[in-house]
Amino acid sequence: MAAASVASQAQAVLRGRLCNPGFVHSALRSSPDTNYSKLKYLVASSVSEACNNSVLLLGPRGCGKAAVVDMVLDDLKKEHPDAISVIRLNGMLHSDDNCAMKEIARQLCLEHQLSFSKMASSDDNTEFMIDMLRECGLAHKTILFVLEEFDLFAQGKQRLLYSLLDAMQSLTSQAVVIGVSCRLDADQLLEKRVRSRFSHRKLLFVPSPLDDIQRLVEHLLVLTKDSGLPAQYITDYNSRLTNIFIDNKFKGCLNSLMDADATTSNILRFLFRAVSYMNMESGFLSMECFQKALSSMQRQPKTDSLQDLSILELYILVCMHRLEDKEQSSYNFTSIMKEYRSIQDAYKTSDKYSSTVCFRAFEHLLDRELISFGDNRGRNQALEYRSVKLLISSRELAQSLKLNTTCPAVLQKLLDRERYM
Amino acid sequence: MSQPVTPRRTTRSSAVSAPDPASPTSPSKSRPKPTPRRQLIPTDVAKEEEEGEGEHERSTIDALLEALPGRRAQATDLLRLLAPAPALPLLLHGGAATGKTRALLLALRHILPRPRRVAYAALRSLPSPRALFASLLTQLSPPSSSSASSRLRVPDKPSDFVAALRDALAGLSAQGEAVYLVFDNLEVVRSWDKSGQLLTLLLRLYDLLRLPQVVLVYVSSATPDAYYSMTGSVEPSHIYFPDYTVDEVRDILMRGHPNPKLYSSFLSVALKPLFRVTRRVDELVAALEPLFRRYCEPLGDLKAVLDESIRRRLFEHIQPHLAAALNETFSVPMRASVDKCNDHSSGGKVISKRQFGSRDSLSTELEFHMSVSAKYLLLSAFLASRNPATLDAALFDSTGGSDNHKRKRKSSQASLNMKDTMLEEMLMKGPGTFPLERLLAIFQCITSVSEDALGDVECPDSMMTGSGMTGLMSDVLLQLSTLCNSNFLSKSRSCPLEGSARYRSNIDEDLALKVARSVSFPLSKYIYRR
Repeated sequence: MAAASVASQAQAVLRGRLCNPGFVHSALRSSPDTNYSKLKYLVASSVSEACNNSVLLLGPRGCGKAAVVDMVLDDLKKEHPDAISVIRLNGMLHSDDNCAMKEIARQLCLEHQLSFSKMASSDDNTEFMIDMLRECGLAHKTILFVLEEFDLFAQGKQRLLYSLLDAMQSLTSQAVVIGVSCRLDADQLLEKRVRSRFSHRKLLFVPSPLDDIQRLVEHLLVLTKDSGLPAQYITDYNSRLTNIFIDNKFKGCLNSLMDADATTSNILRFLFRAVSYMNMESGFLSMECFQKALSSMQRQPKTDSLQDLSILELYILVCMHRLEDKEQSSYNFTSIMKEYRSIQDAYKTSDKYSSTVCFRAFEHLLDRELISFGDNRGRNQALEYRSVKLLISSRELAQSLKLNTTCPAVLQKLLDRERYM
Repeated sequence: MSQPVTPRRTTRSSAVSAPDPASPTSPSKSRPKPTPRRQLIPTDVAKEEEEGEGEHERSTIDALLEALPGRRAQATDLLRLLAPAPALPLLLHGGAATGKTRALLLALRHILPRPRRVAYAALRSLPSPRALFASLLTQLSPPSSSSASSRLRVPDKPSDFVAALRDALAGLSAQGEAVYLVFDNLEVVRSWDKSGQLLTLLLRLYDLLRLPQVVLVYVSSATPDAYYSMTGSVEPSHIYFPDYTVDEVRDILMRGHPNPKLYSSFLSVALKPLFRVTRRVDELVAALEPLFRRYCEPLGDLKAVLDESIRRRLFEHIQPHLAAALNETFSVPMRASVDKCNDHSSGGKVISKRQFGSRDSLSTELEFHMSVSAKYLLLSAFLASRNPATLDAALFDSTGGSDNHKRKRKSSQASLNMKDTMLEEMLMKGPGTFPLERLLAIFQCITSVSEDALGDVECPDSMMTGSGMTGLMSDVLLQLSTLCNSNFLSKSRSCPLEGSARYRSNIDEDLALKVARSVSFPLSKYIYRR
């Protein structure tokens, strides 16, 4: 009972860590020459030197761009509590220029305790923003614009980006624009008039190498003295964990995980699963937790759903595959039925069903998205005449037939024979 | 009707509303209009929980596993991944009728630090983003201000929605208690207008909200690869719900059956063959239920002891019915009332299958439901769809087109090949379309031909034959619209050149021949064979 409660406490601590991006990336604070220190230097110098600046953070999703921005902003807020105000926009929500302007005005009002008018027009809001930029510049206060999903702001006429960057050209204003995007060519999307006003500072985020990931895993999982758990438990837990870390199996796990996706978020997901699988009886993480987590992350959805098919559905897939092998350019349910009938006539199996039942099986396959309609034309045509295509490869199909214990031998033969013919 | 497994819809509503019988609506009915807020978590269980933690905890988990047969691994995964509050988003995926929603909702009732609130949005019943936003915000708004919130403007734009949602959630999760947001039927969003935008919004809510106490759960019957390109920095972790195996299905069907012995001997006969055709529990239940009634028929006393001879007798009795049941998607009992038919079909996807279902079920008892002129109209539509329009003149000349066998030519190899490709093409293209005028012309031709035959047998009076013709023609447009409504014919978009609507017949040759036989019309003479 007591052991279980300590264990669940420890699990809660670990889960809290894994879900807190600030903690995950806090190791960056101590090490020099990271994107964190570069960004912090850039923003801090623009704040202290009272100048305008702009920077783009580029890199794939889940590499910690937004977390780094958050950490830098937190630090700066602590260092210069009165000298900065932060405006956050998200390209997904505010890609519309009017809407974005309104949001900027709203957040500016909120920051400076002004009353915000919902009725203000877009021009009013733009003017208000320019006025605010000037006022803040005169008061030596920096406005930080964080534009997440930056590439989405570059759609359309880019009026927002233009007016924002244009306002920053004056000497009086004092603002920093931080763009965050997962498109590496985000700066190429900008119009000429916008690009010329943009400083071409870019920070590139890449997935970390294995060493860093190992350090990250240790940072995340090793319990510290101040976590409020019994000291004895902490030492036991940590010693077991170090044993796991030096285990080659664990390294193998991490390697195969990173072969697929080496982003930090993927590692976090893996660790989260492993921590969730923690054995509550013993209260410690074991190698099985990690292996179980890995196997649950490496599932192949297509193969899984192929295993769920009934025999009739498999017949239909095999018929479709035979039609594709005959290099028939397009086929539909009626031609599949023709093939199915010919197979049934040739082999006299017990699986000969009426076309309505086959059509239901066909619909199940459509539902599972193992097959799909070939084109969007002929929407008003009856379903059985619309051309269809397979969404699985012959290898996947052959493998699933092999794994399926109830699958009749005929099916296997039908698929094999034509592969070698 | 003793139904061991409740169908999807009732499963969903009972899973949520069962604990609180007083709750006015079930989630399956949640419509765009702001519904009264539902209490998803039973309060009485919550009280019980507080008393004894240790063994009670274990017994509730056992109760959960008991309620979810065959879903042990998934249920334990759910409990582990959902439970103490900061949790990464979760995606439950698997085929239809695999118990995703039921497992999730039951697990949400059993997880231990009791969630402060669960907001459940089934996207299938919330047909627009606006409806979704409204439903979520009403479910999250504090109960005291429910009357005030109904007057609140429902956000249209995603930006307003996220702001409103963040406000609502910040208030709720300030005390450090968890709030669960469940998005069910995520796959249906893909067919909406601007689906990409809404899906990315939903899948990136974790990034947008950044509230650790809010746990997002998605339920989808589509595999996760459908959403890979739309997720934000954090991909949801997946839990896969595989289809039930034979043994699991047997367990599910056996649960709570009043006559387990008889039923298990029935299942040992009937389940395996049906399982080869479909593995979906809802469809199996629908197919097995009438079969079991048949199975019991020879038995006078249902409680009788089953020995080997009786079992064999029952098996022989059920065998033909089983073979028939394997070949139909749903059965329409003869002389059954309409609502009974509806009962049978409600499990499956009636709309998409209507065309097939109606064809099959009607083919046996067509004679009783269709007037003679409707049958002729159906036949002429069939001919108009199958035959090329250029041959109409040859087929329907003044003599009734019975001498078309003269036109056959010798076929060379090249023309044989051509014939093959033509056949292939026809298989691909399906029935052709035709304008109304052509249909009426053919209709007139074939009625005038058969009229002679009919006249000889039934109405010797020449006056009657003449008026019979006009009688057939009089309400032909009405008949046509009836046939269209019952999906025997479909009306396609109007042709851009002619401007009038075009029709297409949806029936296949078997049915057409059957209809022709019933009015003794020589259909095969008129079908053009390539």
